[in-house]
Amino acid sequence: MQADVSGILAGVKVLELTHAPSGAFCAKLLADQGADTVKVEPPGWGDPLRREPPFIGGEPHPERSTAFLALNTNKRGITLDVAQAAGRELFLKLAATADVMIESYPPGHLNDLKLGYEALKAANPKLILLSITYFGQSGPYAHFNGDDLIAQATGGFLYAVTGSTHKPPMGTALQQMEQTAGRNGVIAIMAALMQREQAGAGCHIDLSVQEAAIATPSGLLHPYSFTGRNPRRGSGDTNVMDGMHLPTREGEVTLTTAGTGGRPMEVWSEFIGEPRLLDPKFATRLSRQEHWEELRDLVAPKLKEWNNLDLMRETMARGLVIGLVQSPKQVLDSPHLAERGSFVELEHAEAGELKYPGPGFFFDGENPMQTVRAAPCLGEHNAEIYRCELGLSNDELSRLCAARVI
Amino acid sequence: MAAPALLQGIKILTLEQVHALPWGTAFLADMGAQVIRVESAGHLQDRKAGPFPSGKPGDEWWNEGGNLAYFGTRNKQSLCMDVTHPAGKEIFLKMVRQCDIVTDNFRPGTMRRYGFDHDSLAAINPRIITLSSTAFGHSGPWSKAGSRARTIDAMCGMSALTGYEGGPSLRASNNYMDHSTGNNVAYALLLALYRRNKTGKGMRIDLTMQETGVSCIGPAILETQHGITRPRLGCAHLWKAPHNVYACAGNDRWIAIAVASDSEWAALKQAMGNPAWAQDARFDKSESRWQHRHDLDNQLAAWTTTQDDKALMALLQKHGVCAGAVLTAADLVQDPHLRQRGFLQDYDREGTPTVGVRTYAGRPFSVPGVSMSIRHTAKMGEHNSAVLQQVAGLSPGEITALAEQNVIYTRPRAGEKAP
Repeated sequence: MQADVSGILAGVKVLELTHAPSGAFCAKLLADQGADTVKVEPPGWGDPLRREPPFIGGEPHPERSTAFLALNTNKRGITLDVAQAAGRELFLKLAATADVMIESYPPGHLNDLKLGYEALKAANPKLILLSITYFGQSGPYAHFNGDDLIAQATGGFLYAVTGSTHKPPMGTALQQMEQTAGRNGVIAIMAALMQREQAGAGCHIDLSVQEAAIATPSGLLHPYSFTGRNPRRGSGDTNVMDGMHLPTREGEVTLTTAGTGGRPMEVWSEFIGEPRLLDPKFATRLSRQEHWEELRDLVAPKLKEWNNLDLMRETMARGLVIGLVQSPKQVLDSPHLAERGSFVELEHAEAGELKYPGPGFFFDGENPMQTVRAAPCLGEHNAEIYRCELGLSNDELSRLCAARVI
Repeated sequence: MAAPALLQGIKILTLEQVHALPWGTAFLADMGAQVIRVESAGHLQDRKAGPFPSGKPGDEWWNEGGNLAYFGTRNKQSLCMDVTHPAGKEIFLKMVRQCDIVTDNFRPGTMRRYGFDHDSLAAINPRIITLSSTAFGHSGPWSKAGSRARTIDAMCGMSALTGYEGGPSLRASNNYMDHSTGNNVAYALLLALYRRNKTGKGMRIDLTMQETGVSCIGPAILETQHGITRPRLGCAHLWKAPHNVYACAGNDRWIAIAVASDSEWAALKQAMGNPAWAQDARFDKSESRWQHRHDLDNQLAAWTTTQDDKALMALLQKHGVCAGAVLTAADLVQDPHLRQRGFLQDYDREGTPTVGVRTYAGRPFSVPGVSMSIRHTAKMGEHNSAVLQQVAGLSPGEITALAEQNVIYTRPRAGEKAP
C-alpha cells in the first residue's frame, strides 16, 4: 500500500490514442502518477513505437523495443480498430467515462473517423481532449508531416542550440522535442482538470510540437527581438574551462570556473597540480579561449589521472563545480542516485525486470512513481476492459476479434 | 488583459534565481496564481542577465531585461526584500501563513539556515506546499554539489548521447535542462495543488535537475541494462534514411529531411524529378538505404544545395515528404504559420518605454479559457507596498520604515554596477 503522495491522479481515467512519442510520453507522465491510463492500439502490430530499435535481446520483438518500454509505463493496453464502425462505437463507450483523451492524428482525421471533438463532447461533455501534432490544429503548416528532427529544425533548436560553429546544424538525442511536448501536455491537462472542477466542462487543447521546441531554448526568439542578433550554434566546445569535454580515467568531465572566488586559474592550478596554468596568457576568459589548445594540453593529462567519483568528491569538497559526462551506464550505477532511490524496478513479461528513472521529484521524501507495470503487451488488457468493464460477452468479443476490430 | 480565474486566490512565495525555477513558477503565474517573487537587492544577476535593447543596458537596466518578461517576473509580483534581515525574515514568515506554496532553488541547507525549511513552515501553516528545486536533491552524497545547466546536461547522461556521427560527446544545450526542469516544476506543483484540493494536505517536494534529466533519456537507461550502447548519430537515425540535415542555397541555410518508409522515398524521388542516381537499387529498400546512407546523404545534398530551403520545405511537404527548413530566430519571428496561429506575442512593456514592443515565443498549448500570455512584467520592488499591505498586513507607516532601514528596495543599492 503506497502512501497518498503517490498515485495523486488515481481516479483520473486517461485514454491514449496516439502513434508518436509525444503523446505516449505525455500519457506515461500521467500514468506514473496513478492515472488509470488505457493505451488504445491498432490490432496487428500496434503502436509504431513497438517496431523502434534497439530491442532488448537484440532481435526485433513487439514487446522489447526500449523506446516503447520507456514511454508506456503503468498503462493498460487494448487493441481496437477505430476506423471500423464497431470499433468506433466501442471507443465512444470508453470515451464516455474517460476524463482525458490524448490523440495525435493529423488535424481533421478524428473528424473523418466521426470521433471529432464535437462527437466526443456529445458522448461526454466533461472530456478533456488533448491533440498533439507537429504543427498544431490550424495554420498553413497544419498538414505538414513531422517527426522529432523536423520539430527541431522548424523549432529553431537545430540551428542554434547545440552542435559546433563550423559544422552543420545538429540536434539533441532521444527525441527531446517529443518529450518537451509531452511535458507541456501534462501542464495543460492539469490546468484543464482544475478548470473542469470549477466550470464543470471539458475542453479541446491544441498542442504543437514545433511550438514546444521554439518555447524551449530561452536564448532564441526574444533575444533576437531585443538585439537583432541571430543566435548561432556552437559556443563552448573549444572552451576548456566552460563546455569542453576532457577525458578522466574512465569517462569524461566538463569544468567550470564557478566556485573559484574569481581566481579560476590559481584554484585549478593548485587542485590539479599544474603551476603552468598561472601563465598570464590564461588569465582571462578571452585569453583562455585564444590559447585553448595549450591549456587543454596542460589540463587534460592531469584530469586523466582521476577517476570520476574521486574527482567529483574532491571538487565538491572544495566548492568547485564540474560536470561528469556520465554514460547511461554510469548514471544507472551512480551511488548518489542509488542512495536517493531515483530508480524504480518494474517487471515485464517479455523484457524481464527493468530499472526505470523516476519522474525527477520526490513527494514527502518518497519517489511517487507508480510501479504497476513496465508497459502493456499488445492487447494485454482486452479481456479485462472489454468483458469486465464494458460488459461484452465472450461471443461478442470473439466476433469482434474475428472481424479484426479487436 | 485580465488574469485567468483558474488559480485565482493561490498565493506563491518564491525565492528563485536564474532559470529553471522561475520558468516553472511562470506557468502558474500565467494561470492566475499570485506569484510573489522575493528578490534581493544583493543578488541582481537575473536583472543583469538581459537581453537588453540593442544589447546595451540602459539607465534603468534592472527593469529592461528580456528574460524578465519571458519568464523571470512574467505575470508575477516583485517584492524586493532582504529576508536575511530580522525584520524581513519576520515578514516572510508572516506571509507564509497566508500562502499556499513556497518555492526555492537554493542549495540544500540554505532554507534551513534561514528558518524557512519545510518543517518550520509547515509548523505555522500545515496546508503549505513547499518545492525545492536543486541540482542533485536534498539527500545523497552529491546533494551539496554546485551545478550549471550544462554540468547537469553532462551528469544526467544527455551529453554522452549527443554528438555528430562518430564524433565526441557534446553538451545538448545550454539550458534545455533548465526548461525540462521548469516544466517538471509546474507539473509537480499542479499535482500538489490538485491533491490539496481533494485532501486539504500540503506536502514537501524535492525536485532535481539531474533526475529530470535522467527521466529524459529513459530508453538509454533501459538499453544499458542489457549492454546496448546507443551510438551518437548527429541528425541521423538508428534506422531511417535519408534522415539528416542537408545544405541549401545561401549562407548557412539547411533543410532537415526524414524519410521513414519506402513509399516516402518514392515520393522524395518524384519530388526531385526522378534523377538517375536515385534509381540505384541500393536505395530501394529501407535497410539498404540505411547501410548506404552516407552515399545517399551526399547525393541528396548535391541536389538540395541548389534549392531555397523554405521553398523546398513546401515542395517536399506537398509530395508528402517529412521535411523542415532549419529556421533561425529571424525566420521564426516572421513565420507566417506561427503568426496565423497567434503563437508569437508582440508584447509592449508598458512603463518601460526603452524596451517597448518585442516579440516573444508563446506557450505551445492553448487551453480554452486559460490565457497563458504575458500580461505584465514586474519591475524591481514594484509590488512591495501592495504585497506588504495585503499579504503581510503592514501599515503604510511600517512599510516606509522598512524602506528607510534598507530592508526593502525599488532600485539597486548605491554603488551597484551596471551589467
